[in-house]
Amino acid sequence: MSGLGLALRWLHLAATVALLGGAVALLIAGPSDRPTALAWQRRVSGLARWLLLVAVLAGAGVLAHQTVVLEGRAEAALDPRALLRVATQTQSGLVWLVRLGLLLVAGLFAAGRLRVADRADWLALHGQTAALTVLALALAAAGGHAAAAEPSPLTAMAVDALHLATAGLWAGALPALSLLLASAARPDGADARPYAVLAIRAFSRWALAMVLVVAVSGVLNTLAHVRDVAGLIGTPYGRLLLVKITVFALALALAAANRRRLTALGATAERGRAAMARLAVGVRVEALLILAILGVVAALGVTPPARHEQAAWPFSFRFTTTALLSAAPDARWPVLIGSQLAVAGAVVLLCTLFVRRWRLPLAAGAVVLLLTGAAMGLAPLAVDAYPTTFHRPTVPYTVTSIASGAAIYAERCVACHGRGGGGDGPAAATLPKPPADLRAPHTSDHTAGDLFWWVSHGIPRGAMPGFADVLDEEQRWDVINFVRLLGAVEGARWLGPSVDPGRPWLAAPDFSYAVAPAPARSLRDYRGSRHVLLVLYTLPASRARLAQLAQAYQLLTTVGVEVIAVPTDAEPDAIRRLGPDVRALFPIVTEGAADIVAVYRRFDAAPHVEHLVDKNGYVRARWSTHGETARDVNLLLAEVQELNEEKVVAPPADEHVH
Amino acid sequence: MRAWKAVVLVDLALLFAALGGWAAWQRSQTTAALAARTVTFGGPEQEWTDVAGLVRAVVPELGIVVLTHADIPGYMPGMTMGFKLADVEIPRALSVGDTVRFSLRGSPPLVTITALEKVP
Repeated sequence: MSGLGLALRWLHLAATVALLGGAVALLIAGPSDRPTALAWQRRVSGLARWLLLVAVLAGAGVLAHQTVVLEGRAEAALDPRALLRVATQTQSGLVWLVRLGLLLVAGLFAAGRLRVADRADWLALHGQTAALTVLALALAAAGGHAAAAEPSPLTAMAVDALHLATAGLWAGALPALSLLLASAARPDGADARPYAVLAIRAFSRWALAMVLVVAVSGVLNTLAHVRDVAGLIGTPYGRLLLVKITVFALALALAAANRRRLTALGATAERGRAAMARLAVGVRVEALLILAILGVVAALGVTPPARHEQAAWPFSFRFTTTALLSAAPDARWPVLIGSQLAVAGAVVLLCTLFVRRWRLPLAAGAVVLLLTGAAMGLAPLAVDAYPTTFHRPTVPYTVTSIASGAAIYAERCVACHGRGGGGDGPAAATLPKPPADLRAPHTSDHTAGDLFWWVSHGIPRGAMPGFADVLDEEQRWDVINFVRLLGAVEGARWLGPSVDPGRPWLAAPDFSYAVAPAPARSLRDYRGSRHVLLVLYTLPASRARLAQLAQAYQLLTTVGVEVIAVPTDAEPDAIRRLGPDVRALFPIVTEGAADIVAVYRRFDAAPHVEHLVDKNGYVRARWSTHGETARDVNLLLAEVQELNEEKVVAPPADEHVH
Repeated sequence: MRAWKAVVLVDLALLFAALGGWAAWQRSQTTAALAARTVTFGGPEQEWTDVAGLVRAVVPELGIVVLTHADIPGYMPGMTMGFKLADVEIPRALSVGDTVRFSLRGSPPLVTITALEKVP
C-alpha cells in the first residue's frame, strides 16, 4: 500500500513539475511564427492538458491514500465523508485541497477555449499557467516536514517553498526544451533552429540562477531536518538525501557538459544541427535524472526526518576535536601540519584547473599531498565509535531517572566503579585494567551513545560486562543519567553563592513536584519565564530562613523568582510541621520530594542548601549552611539582579545528556 | 473571451477569495484570544462543591483563608490563593497544613467560600 502511495506522489510531483516547466519553456522561448516552433508550442500545450489531468488525478489519489492510512481501512478511499474529513480537518489534507484547486483553475486556462489574439494574450495565458502551477508546487511545503520543523516552522516552510518553486522552474523546463531541440535538429526543422538556439541560451542563464537558489535552499532544508553527519549517514532519511544529492551532482555535471555544447550550436549549418541533436539527447538524460530525483523527493516526503530518528553509526571510528584538547595535547602538531598539507594539496588541485602544462603530474602530486595531509591530520582525531554512538537518550535528565539510575548503579556497578564513580570499588583491584574515573572531565569526550554501548555490551578490553540482557533500555539510560550527574557533581564542587555572569554551564536536573492537592508542576515549566530558588531545608534550623523568604516572597516574585522549598526529610506533612508562624505561601513540596532530595543533596549535603536556577534551566549559584540559616535577603536579590541584567542568552539547558 | 481578460478576472477572484479567507481567519483568531483573556464581571452565578484544598494560612481578622487548591473546573487551575468566607465561621480548630474540602459560590471573579470542612 505504501508503494502505491509513493508511486502516486511521484507521479503527481513529476506531472506538476513538467506542467510548470512547459509553461516556463514557452515563456523563455517566446512567441514565434515559424511552423516548426508553432508545432512545438502546440505540442507542449497539448501535453500540458494530459499532465494536468495526471497531476490532479494522482494528487486526488494521494489524498485518498492518506485517508486510507489515517482511517486504517481500505474502503475509506471511496467514502466521501471520510475523504472530506481528512481534506478539511488535517493540515496536510487542507493543503492538498488548495493545491488541487489551484491546478483545476490552471486547467481552465489549459483547456484552450480562450482566444489568443496578440502577444499580451499569449503571455498572460502561459504566465497564468506557470504562476498557478508554481504556487501549487510551492504550497506543498506547508503540508510537508517543514510544517513541523523546529524551532521555526514558518522559516522552514518558506525555505522549502522556495526550494520547490525554483527546482520546478529550472528542472521542469528540461523535457519541453529537449522536445524543441529534437524537432529543430530534424532535417525539416531548419526554420526553428535560430529560435531554438536563442531559447536554449536564455534558459541556460535562467537555469544558472535557479540552480544556485535550489542548492542554497537545499542546504538550509537539510539543516532543518538533519542534525549532524550521523543523521545524514545513519538514518533512512539521511541516506535518501545522500542519494538525492549524488544524483543532483550528476545532473549538474551533465548540465555543465550541455552548457559547453552551446558554443558549437553557432557553427556551420550541418555541424550545428548535429550538435543540436546531441544537445537534445543530453537535455533528455538530464530530465531523466531529475525524474529520479523526484522519486527520491516523494520518498523523503514519507520518511521521518533524520532529526527525529536514532542514527545508527556505520563505522568503527569517528573524528572529534574535543578529545584532542583534554586527552592528547601532543597530538596537536600532526593535526596542524597535516591540515596545512591538505590545504596546500587542495590549493594546488584547484590551480591545475587553470594551468595547461604539467596538468597531470601536478594533479597527481596534489592528490598525494591532500591524502597524506588528511591521513596525518585525521589519524589523531579518530576515536572508537559504535552503532549507538550518536543515539540521543530516550530518557530525559530528571531526578526520577537519576534516582533509579543510582539504585541500579548501587546494585550492579559499585563493586568496581566505587560509590562515587572514582573507579575505586572493592573489586577494582582484581581487574586487569582499573575502571575509568567516571567523574573525570574526559567522560564528556564520550557521547551518551558511547556510554550506552558500553553499558549495553561492555568493554572487551577491560573487564566491563554488558548489561543489555539484564537492564532494559530505559534502565540503561537511567544509569547514564546518573553517570552524568556524577560528573556534574564533581564539576560543581566549587560552585559558590554568587552568580558568574554570562557563564551558565550546570544543567539543573529536572523534577516534578506537587503541593497536594494542587496539580503537579515541573521545574521545566518555569523555563523562559522565572528563575527558581530551590531550597532544601531541614527543621528546625531552617525555620528562620524560611520565615525570611516568606516575608520577601512578594518581592522575589516581582523580580521574577519562584521559591520551591523541599524538606530534606521528604515528609508529606511538611506544611503542618512548618507551623503557622512562618506563613510561607510559596510551594512547599509534599509530593516528589524524595527524589529531589536524593539527587540535589549529592551537590551539597548541608542541612540547608539553596540552588539558584536561572530561567534557562542552569544552576547558577549555591548557598549552603550547617549553622545559622538567616541571611540578608538583599544578597539573594543582588544575584537575581545579576541574572536579570545578563545579556547573553544561553541556549536552554538540554534535558538530555550529550 | 480574450485570454488576458480571463486571466485578470480569475486572478482578481483568487485574490479576493484569499484576502477574504485570511481576514475571516484573523478575526476568528482574535475573537478566540480575546475571549480567553477577558474577565467579565457580573456573569451568571456559579457553584463548585467539594474542592480539595490545603490550608496555608488563616487570617481570622480579615475572614480569609489561604488555600492551595486543586483545579476548579471551568474557573481556574490549581494554585495557592486567598479566599474570603461568606457567612461561615472559620472553624476554630483550623490550622496550617490541614486538608480541607470546600464549596465556592459567586459570579467569577467574585466568589466566596460557602462551606469548609476539615478532612481528617
